[in-house]
Amino acid sequence: MSILRSFKACDMFTFNNVNLDVWTETYSPGFYLGYLSRWPDLCSVQESPTGTMMGYVIGKAEGQGSEWHGHVTAISVAPEYRRLSLARKMMGLLEFVSDQNYRGFFVDLYVRCTNQVAIELYEGLGYSVYRRVREYYGSLGLGKGSKDEEDAFDMRKPLSRDPGRRSVRSNGRDIHVSAHDVS
Amino acid sequence: MSQALERLVRPIYDALDNGSPKSALVACNKVLKKHPNNELVKALKALALIRSQKVEESLNVCDEVLAGKPTDEAVLGAMQHVLRGLGRHTDAVTMYEEAWKKDPGNEELGAQAFLANIRAGHWKAAQQARQLATKLSKVFKREHYLYWSVMSAVLQANASSTPENMRKLLYQLAHRLISSSPTPSFQHAERFHLHLTILRELGLQDDALKLLGNEIGQYICLTSLSCNEIRREILSDKGLTVEEGSRAEKLIEGGDRNWLEFVAVLEAVFAPRPEEESFSTADEVARVRQLLEEVTTKDGSSDRSGPLALLDLEKRCRTHNFATGRMIALLKEYFEKIGSKACCYEDLVPYVQLEGEELSEWTAYLQGLASSYSPLEDLQRLINCHKLLRYNLSSDAITVESETALASTYSQQYLEALPLGKGLPDTELQPADDLAILSGHAFVNLWTLTKDETYLWNAVSILEYGVSRSRPSYRMRLMLIRIYRLLGAPQLALEHYRLMQIKQVQHDTLSHFALSRSAPFSLASTGDLTYMSEHIEASNIYVTNITDTSEYTVRAFTQEKYSQIPEFIKFENQVECSLQRNIAKMEYLRMRLGFDVVSAEVVDMELIDFKFIFDRDHFDNRDFNPLPNYQPRQSPTLNEQTLLFGKSENLGWLMSFMKIYVRALQDASDLDDSVEDKLLIGDRPQPTKPHERPLKERLCERTEEEMADLTDFELSYVHYADALANWLGPHHDHVRPHPSVVLAEAAKLSEAKTGQKFKGIDIPPPPANGNGKKEEDAPPVTEPPSELLAFFDEMHARFGKLRDAHAITEALAIAQIMQEAFVLFMCQTLRFKQNSVVKIHKLGNLVASFKPVKAKMVEVLKEVGTDLGRMSEKEGNAPRRKEFIDGCKHLDHDFILNVAKRFSDARHDMLAGYGKGIPRILGLYPN
Repeated sequence: MSILRSFKACDMFTFNNVNLDVWTETYSPGFYLGYLSRWPDLCSVQESPTGTMMGYVIGKAEGQGSEWHGHVTAISVAPEYRRLSLARKMMGLLEFVSDQNYRGFFVDLYVRCTNQVAIELYEGLGYSVYRRVREYYGSLGLGKGSKDEEDAFDMRKPLSRDPGRRSVRSNGRDIHVSAHDVS
Repeated sequence: MSQALERLVRPIYDALDNGSPKSALVACNKVLKKHPNNELVKALKALALIRSQKVEESLNVCDEVLAGKPTDEAVLGAMQHVLRGLGRHTDAVTMYEEAWKKDPGNEELGAQAFLANIRAGHWKAAQQARQLATKLSKVFKREHYLYWSVMSAVLQANASSTPENMRKLLYQLAHRLISSSPTPSFQHAERFHLHLTILRELGLQDDALKLLGNEIGQYICLTSLSCNEIRREILSDKGLTVEEGSRAEKLIEGGDRNWLEFVAVLEAVFAPRPEEESFSTADEVARVRQLLEEVTTKDGSSDRSGPLALLDLEKRCRTHNFATGRMIALLKEYFEKIGSKACCYEDLVPYVQLEGEELSEWTAYLQGLASSYSPLEDLQRLINCHKLLRYNLSSDAITVESETALASTYSQQYLEALPLGKGLPDTELQPADDLAILSGHAFVNLWTLTKDETYLWNAVSILEYGVSRSRPSYRMRLMLIRIYRLLGAPQLALEHYRLMQIKQVQHDTLSHFALSRSAPFSLASTGDLTYMSEHIEASNIYVTNITDTSEYTVRAFTQEKYSQIPEFIKFENQVECSLQRNIAKMEYLRMRLGFDVVSAEVVDMELIDFKFIFDRDHFDNRDFNPLPNYQPRQSPTLNEQTLLFGKSENLGWLMSFMKIYVRALQDASDLDDSVEDKLLIGDRPQPTKPHERPLKERLCERTEEEMADLTDFELSYVHYADALANWLGPHHDHVRPHPSVVLAEAAKLSEAKTGQKFKGIDIPPPPANGNGKKEEDAPPVTEPPSELLAFFDEMHARFGKLRDAHAITEALAIAQIMQEAFVLFMCQTLRFKQNSVVKIHKLGNLVASFKPVKAKMVEVLKEVGTDLGRMSEKEGNAPRRKEFIDGCKHLDHDFILNVAKRFSDARHDMLAGYGKGIPRILGLYPN
């Protein structure tokens, strides 16, 4: 529970408590403005009743033909607001808009293969692994399980335009592609 | 472009793209030898020159290309980058407009002319943009051009310089335009948003409601949060709180858990209603309460909206004098349910401002809870319980004894609970972190109560221990940054600041933690430029903002994302006119003056910059929220407690120092406004509002409001600086050379540098008698004002006390301000160093009176330098470390020893460095 509202350019002044986190990157303002200037309806913010920013999602619509889909570029929730289903709510909106406004076939996202908590969360939301993308993330320099650290799962969830669930497959974890092959 | 030409220019583009402007330049010159009149290559050369920092040479090439009135798109594209690099947005507009005039059938040129105005971004440009868009829409009959003109009218209306009556007219115009659109706005969510904005602004809420009421309007609000936001605003304008409440109720029943819907329901309960006989507020309260209870039961622990809304309803009942009495019961229920989540404390703060019996009952409840660490949920519950109890501590309950006991409880429980997070990877926060943070709070509070530094050592120890276990805990780092600054160990503060890896726009919002009032911490005088480079690093964001952000506004136009455009412009403007930016600039200047010898060049450059800033709006984008605060509500916040000298650097601070420096630099400089106008490259930033009185007058005004932001020693410095400027200002004004002389000199210099004639500036003929002033106008020479030496005496005495008390940070600040006062004196007397000036204007007596003043300043400063050196001897040694360790017994000895060593060494280096720096600065001004 929280206030769900649109992401605005000036939110960059107050997103520090979300971004001061190892897993969350602070990009140049142009990165956020680039998304807002094209897909403002796929970007949203969760705010606490007292007005603190709790998390946000940045998304886009992309792909050709039957690959036309909504994509979750960044989703982040501040540590003190985790386990409150905030990500679930923001994803719900992004899926709804991808389905209704953009008429996409599916929504997808990338997640580090080591990030078990997130993978479980997405699976709970109806996502499944479509393929494993090698060396998608630059190394974080952590050493342990570096392969899983660098590789990403591309996870997908079909939308109403794909009733036959053609955009997903059951053996996705075994399909390996290199980072150059994905957009 | 012909293939032959393509082959020639490709390497130039490649070199520019690869960031090697020098080889691009070589390539350009090569092609120009064969094709000396090729416009594209010339334009690229201008670009390569800018990127190689050769601005003056670039100007010549740039003007040459512009004079040819280019229409070729490649040339225009290159020139647009050139002009942007030079800050000449207005010229870019003219260039595209001229090009379109020459080739009116070319739609792309028309669109580019429009967008060039958007990049230029001032209200006059918005007006021009509107006219261009109207023309585009007439000529090319595309609907989005019509919307461009609508949006431009709105932008023009919103510009701060647009008068109120004009504003209304512009919105009416926008309304007329949008109504003339052949297809209705609701075919497109973004156009619909723009339409609603205009209707709302014109007070046509009823029309807006009609649009919102139809099926498409409702659908758009479902998928566009920004349209839904404006819908809420329109309903609230119309006072339709009750209707919005019933709408929200349905959404909640359907499973929506957006808190805004709950707020809508709660607002409706006590909203004024038309006379309804059957309506009773008490019944309504009961009905809504039941609804919320049902939600609570249904959601269980999966969502906290229901129980939080019940608390909010209770609170509202109290303000409306409805019999209640359920607050404590609800609070307890909330705590039972949500107490194991970190957000519980923040959620409850608005509802626990209790008094009397209620407070005792609530406190007793919390105190009665079992303290257990396992499972993790219990640990979180314990932490929330501590925070809530602490929040309501009354001022008479906060004593040295009670806080000491709390601090040790928190630390002890922290150490006991730490093993719970043992298996976590070091990228994760530790679940026990907040206990260390609470302990830090109690120690800081103890320091506030007693001013005994040992408490801060304790805070440092527990927090250092905390971050060693929980590396990503930026909240502990922020506390450490603040405390190390208080303790005079800024190098350690900077280390933690760097570990937070501040990036991009965070440099604007967070750098204040490390850089505010940092002049006393700079060792620039010894050649250590750490702080200065930190400032430079933080300032990059302003450069990228000004070059990049307007590009995205342009993109939002081409993508027709109208809802974003005012937000982008607001963002750009707030970064450009950031208060932090200018505070940091001022600190940087203060550091620079302890490093660079003051020369005419330094003076001129800084003057131009600071004059711009002086008349601007300032936006405070600083984010203080990441610093935690768990101090009792009766006490000052942690932020207030840990500010250096108890004062934040606010607008008043900035304006006070700006007045000192703009005045001093203006006195010392030969540039007056007429000269500056002529020499300046690029557009002059527009003042937000026209000022009724001249700058010179406004610089001499000091307001109480501004002075309230200053520490007392800064205040003394202001009086000193004013006395100095009042004394020497009239002599500067009399002696300053005539503008024509200054311009002629500048032209000569520029010619020598570029080998080309100084263009576009007519130099007025010099007056016959040199500076155009009569001898009898000369101000009388007076004795140095007593304030100058009085300031040094006062500060010196104060420094002595601080030295004896070993109060390091304050001693450094006093030393710094004396040093700054000395440099300001040198800056103000710089002009009178030239013998010819003294001779012509018969200023021998004046100049002679400088000597004893300077001698006294030098004597005092030398002594201060030596004393700082002596103070440093007390640090960085075994007895000091032992003292530190004895003061912090509760943690592991080896760990504390290390903290003590680093801490004391840092203080030693700071004091010794500053002490050594002072004679070096004095050495910069031997005569």
